[in-house]
Amino acid sequence: MSKSLKQKLVAYGLVMPAFLVVMLTVAYPIISAVIQSFQDEDTGAFTLDNYKYFFTDPAQIKNILYTMYVVILTVVIAIVVAYLLALYLRFIHSGIAKTIGTLYLLPRFVPAMCAVYAMITIIRDSGLVNRFGQLFGLDLKLGLMYNASGLIVMNLWFNIPFAALMITAGLGAIPDSIIEGARDVGASKLKVFTSMILPLSLKDVIIAATFVFMTNVGSFTTPYLMGGNAPKMLGIALFDQFNRYLAYNRSAALSVIMFLICSVSAGVYIYTNLKEKDWEQ
Amino acid sequence: MLKMLDPRRFYHAVGRRKFLEFILLAAFILFFYGPLLNMLMLAFANEYQAPAVLPQEWGFKWWRYVFSQQSLVSSIVQSFIVATVTTVVSMILCIPAAYSIARFKYRGRKLFMLSFLLTNAFPKLGIYTSIAVLFYKYNLMGTYTGVVIIHMINSMMFMVWLPASAFRAVHRQQEEAARDVGAGPVRTFFKVTLPMAVPGIAVATLYTFLGSMEEAQGTMLVGLAKVQTMPVAMYGIVLDSSAVQIGAVFAILLIIPSALLIFAMRKFIGPEAIAGGFKMK
Repeated sequence: MSKSLKQKLVAYGLVMPAFLVVMLTVAYPIISAVIQSFQDEDTGAFTLDNYKYFFTDPAQIKNILYTMYVVILTVVIAIVVAYLLALYLRFIHSGIAKTIGTLYLLPRFVPAMCAVYAMITIIRDSGLVNRFGQLFGLDLKLGLMYNASGLIVMNLWFNIPFAALMITAGLGAIPDSIIEGARDVGASKLKVFTSMILPLSLKDVIIAATFVFMTNVGSFTTPYLMGGNAPKMLGIALFDQFNRYLAYNRSAALSVIMFLICSVSAGVYIYTNLKEKDWEQ
Repeated sequence: MLKMLDPRRFYHAVGRRKFLEFILLAAFILFFYGPLLNMLMLAFANEYQAPAVLPQEWGFKWWRYVFSQQSLVSSIVQSFIVATVTTVVSMILCIPAAYSIARFKYRGRKLFMLSFLLTNAFPKLGIYTSIAVLFYKYNLMGTYTGVVIIHMINSMMFMVWLPASAFRAVHRQQEEAARDVGAGPVRTFFKVTLPMAVPGIAVATLYTFLGSMEEAQGTMLVGLAKVQTMPVAMYGIVLDSSAVQIGAVFAILLIIPSALLIFAMRKFIGPEAIAGGFKMK
């Protein structure tokens, strides 16, 4: 047996078990969901009704718009705040920066449910903020439970540290020397930022934004515990279709719709990651 | 010392920049750690009536209550079993695949890596619901095997991407040097390559274990109340809890494993190591 053939066999042999598991547990279910989404609930005949339902039913249209509203606001606020935080962590070398640099790693590892529960104990009407207000004779009602603002606040709790972490890693790869070089030849701070730091970290910003976008489109835990009854986040609408109405074909269609929404950002992600034509490497 | 409590005096004492940094730190801790600290306090509050900010009576009353519930104790045990099995199985499957991706060049390599992105782009619930059909066929509903498979779907992306970027960072020359002095390929891998990739693998393992510990949605769907992990039990508690303290105790129990693991692996956890799990190279 030639050496290159042997190497190929080893390479494929090592990757095959994981590949087969992914095909069976991810690719196959996705394909069967796509097929199911085009089938009639009773007859199994081809139909577009499952999709039509989500784009004609007023409540479902509201759900889609509501989800987009919450997700886009979350992405924009999280990325802007995270970028500022990352800049601070990268360029200020103080004790406080170091402390924050350690503390911001943790929220990523706190179980989602615990974090949501903890936030609820603070912001609900009998929560900590209200109790503090009463000390000063104020009846503070934040009104963050069961609406979009509360969901966004919670999403920011999860996503700001994550996005900041991704961007910090990107900024850390920019050597001090090239920034100092630019400053030496007279570039202003703003100029250094717009023409060097921003372009060099843009890729990491896009990766962070993609993952924030994708995780929030399908989010479940936060809206399940904090969200209102109507309109709903799509993750909850999907859960209802499957669990409450037992409408399997409709829930398959909604899965595909959510996947298409995510694919927009996944496409951007793939484009930035694989700019060179190295698909077959 | 008391003088420092006056913000204006404090401002002039430490200077503008330090002052702003302190405000940033305070805001950061209040938002990201305030909820968690409040929950920690609630867990030890025997009596907590509105509108008091601090509990009327401290103690372990609710801890005793939680541990006297047979179902809750068994959910803790089940969580640990599922998380351990999930971690071990996905290590066995994914680390060879990661090595193959990092070291060999062949057709379809990028496509294979990309397939893991699917698990993040397609709504999890959509995958779970289609898998459930398969599980019914093979009698995997309500079994540990079924739940472990569901948990693996969530972690495989990190389990491949993170170790792959760690393997790629090991210099080929070091492996070749070992081969030159007569070590076989297997021995080279275990004595040279693997030890150097440990940090990346450690972070991936941590992700997998903690991800499994906190997974609730898929476990509820596939476990059919026969496999009840901690987060599943907690959903019930959070949604119909008469006393917030029960939820708080449970949330802390859920955080303890994360905290211990993060402490044990603190050397390996940094922005660069974590960010590696979200990039394709």
